[in-house]
Amino acid sequence: MNARNSIQQEGDDDVNAKSPVAILVLAVIASPLCLLRAQAPAAESRSVWDGVYTEEQAKRGESVYRKECAACHGDLLAGAESAPPLTGGAFLANWNGLTIGDLFDRIRKTMPQSAPGRLTRQQNADILAFMLSVNKFPAGKTELYRQSEMLKEIRFEAAKPAPKK
Amino acid sequence: MREKKSKQLGTLLFLIIAGGLCLPVAASPQFHPKDTEWPSYGADLAGTRYRSLDQINASNFNDLEIAWRIKTDNFGDRPEYKLEGTPLMVNGVLYATAGSRRAVIALDPASGELLWIHGEHEGKRGAAAPRQLSGRGLAYWSDGREERIFYVTPGFRLVCLDAKTGVRIPSFGDNGEVDLKLNDDQDIFPDLTTGEIGIQSAPVVAKDTVIIGAAFREGMTPKSMRNNKGYVRGFDVRTGKRLWIFHTIPKKSEFGYDTWDKGSAEYTGNTGVWTQITVDEQLGLVYLPVESPTSDFYGGHRPGNNLFGETLVCVDLKTGERKWHFQLVHHPLWDMDISSAPILADITIDGKPVKAVAQPSKQGFLYVFDRVTGKPIWPIPERPVEVGNVPGEWYSHTQPIPTKPPAYSRNGVSIDDLIDFTPALRERAKEIASKYHLGPVFTPPTVSKLEGPLGTLTMGTASGGTNWPGGSYDPETHNVYVYACNSCIEPAGLVAAPKEVSDIAYIAGTAGREVEILHGPGENAGADSPRPPKKPAGGGFTRMDIDGLPLVKPPYGTITAINLDKGEFVWQIAHGETPDVVRNSAILKGMNIPRTGQTTYNVGTLVTKTLVIAGEGNITTTADHPRGAMLRAYDKMTGNEVGAVYMPAPQTGSPMTYMVNGKQYIVVAVSGGPYSGEYIAYTLPSTGE
Repeated sequence: MNARNSIQQEGDDDVNAKSPVAILVLAVIASPLCLLRAQAPAAESRSVWDGVYTEEQAKRGESVYRKECAACHGDLLAGAESAPPLTGGAFLANWNGLTIGDLFDRIRKTMPQSAPGRLTRQQNADILAFMLSVNKFPAGKTELYRQSEMLKEIRFEAAKPAPKK
Repeated sequence: MREKKSKQLGTLLFLIIAGGLCLPVAASPQFHPKDTEWPSYGADLAGTRYRSLDQINASNFNDLEIAWRIKTDNFGDRPEYKLEGTPLMVNGVLYATAGSRRAVIALDPASGELLWIHGEHEGKRGAAAPRQLSGRGLAYWSDGREERIFYVTPGFRLVCLDAKTGVRIPSFGDNGEVDLKLNDDQDIFPDLTTGEIGIQSAPVVAKDTVIIGAAFREGMTPKSMRNNKGYVRGFDVRTGKRLWIFHTIPKKSEFGYDTWDKGSAEYTGNTGVWTQITVDEQLGLVYLPVESPTSDFYGGHRPGNNLFGETLVCVDLKTGERKWHFQLVHHPLWDMDISSAPILADITIDGKPVKAVAQPSKQGFLYVFDRVTGKPIWPIPERPVEVGNVPGEWYSHTQPIPTKPPAYSRNGVSIDDLIDFTPALRERAKEIASKYHLGPVFTPPTVSKLEGPLGTLTMGTASGGTNWPGGSYDPETHNVYVYACNSCIEPAGLVAAPKEVSDIAYIAGTAGREVEILHGPGENAGADSPRPPKKPAGGGFTRMDIDGLPLVKPPYGTITAINLDKGEFVWQIAHGETPDVVRNSAILKGMNIPRTGQTTYNVGTLVTKTLVIAGEGNITTTADHPRGAMLRAYDKMTGNEVGAVYMPAPQTGSPMTYMVNGKQYIVVAVSGGPYSGEYIAYTLPSTGE
């Protein structure tokens, strides 16, 4: 799936919910693609199963994770008494049905615990890419965005959807 | 476990019958005044989480409505998403810790109105704390005239407040506080600001002594074999003067020092008591559940049995002197911290009254002792266990394994435990499991190798079984009610630690992800810089589920009722709605799968006159309720579900209950995922107003 194309479709889907900045951004991206869109089938929003990050990004995220997160969440992301797991049943259930943007904002605003907000959006996006890779969501060709609004277009789905016909 | 199916079906039937029966309402029994209050973290110092209230019962639990709620976002400079507190309710006031500041708040227990708030701004010391956020709660003391509230700040200072005003009591310690990093029979290193030691549990006040343990950072990948030690201390509630100290790692010449070979008692740290402490005030005895020594999964730098690591220790309330101890795990290698309050129970064994203490555990054993002598109620013989081959490790060749009661949750992984909804799923699970070493409880970790094993697949270790919420005890039925995660799998693999990372030979990790020196962005990225080796991110990681379905078969989480007179199960049920991924699974469509419970390890229980009450730890979205979790009530005699009410987020702090102005309330802390912390109070609808 062409990533840019799909952003434009989703953006169009619930444009009412977007901030003015996001609408502007989306409009700019969308305009040259109008023709394409007209031919596309009904908008099919993306999920974590659609290759929303790259291997390279996840590797960068791994370095940051190990330095900033692993002490509490564990090298294997299994969590411990003081920090919840970032993989497995409870993690997947807690975020299932929400968006990657929700998870991104949660990390960005509250982590690392000793100094929330210290990491850049890029670092947070990279960490998130690493978390997705550990959770075995497939890597793709485009990196995860740094903008919460755009990340909110990517659904977090615990279970792999049935193959499309 | 086989019982479970019929119990689930029975629920519906029971509801139908109960609806038509008009269950008699208890005719305002004569409560001892204290029975309507919740004066300490675990309801009482025995850790029972029991109140004999019955206004909320099977006939009306579904009618519960929200009396009041309080978001904790503003009790700190940022919201908190991990609210684990259980409030107290004494003398008409509800007290709780709340928010990322670990503020203390006092509320009107009927309306939720904020009466006062106290917060300590600790700057760097707070930010460097190993255990931050709101903690589990606080302690109350009164001599009949004066009322005091005690809590420990994230920066490890014991603060004493006037319960009426929230203002510090200047005559206690140094202007209302005792710096717990001082006067600890050790120099906390490197300095008082950043020195690693703290606590998140609620203090315990027994008679006129306040007892404080200690906690540290997580110990999976420690930077050093050296760390501060987690001694336990008793302080005078009036003056803050230190009354006693118990060395959880013995000093030279003290009992147990010789269980640390090569002088390792000198430098090994941790071994604190980070969970709730239990006290028998009449006997004057304190029960200390001690955690693991430094380095959870590799003990090569601490050869020996390592007393009092993972040991239940009984000490004198007045002196802190050891009375008896029982080490649950010799030479700890599995992160089997004793993670919850010991439970005091007066039971009947062979017709004779016995004062017992029952200890739930991560490993799913309920260890039961005579609490005066420390003698096991049922034999706990030493059994041979697997000896591993991690270079430099020291192994205990036996471990104590209780003969009774049977383990109440899985504490090992075998092929038979793997998912078996369909033969194809079992095959895929076997494929994942084949990369690991499997075995029963006390199968040691392995060095992680890409060609296999990646590690030992364990359950009932770091997060499994019963964690900090612990269990409940019902003095009427002599039953312990205890939640356990029955599917919290932990791969225990070790990788050699580079010198820059740790001075320990092996730390937790997985092969295929050699520990790299960190590079800044752009570093080594210019033209002509060496190309990094092609290696997939997350290599060596294995997701412990199959397309979202848990790797093991249900039940994923259980509540078990265990009768302590007999050492036998009364009932066991799956606790928690079947996860969305299972209910909505295309693979499982058309299959009749009874409620599975959930994969979560922090569910606490409350027991009342008739009910066992516990919330869910996971979010679900069902036809009956929007995205959220349910607070469920079970008939305590049968385990049949008798009602459930909606919560907007999972239960993260154990529920408590009290009566005020003739009405019973249940308060529970919820949070998690995107939902910030909130205390919610439920009560029955008012009538005739």
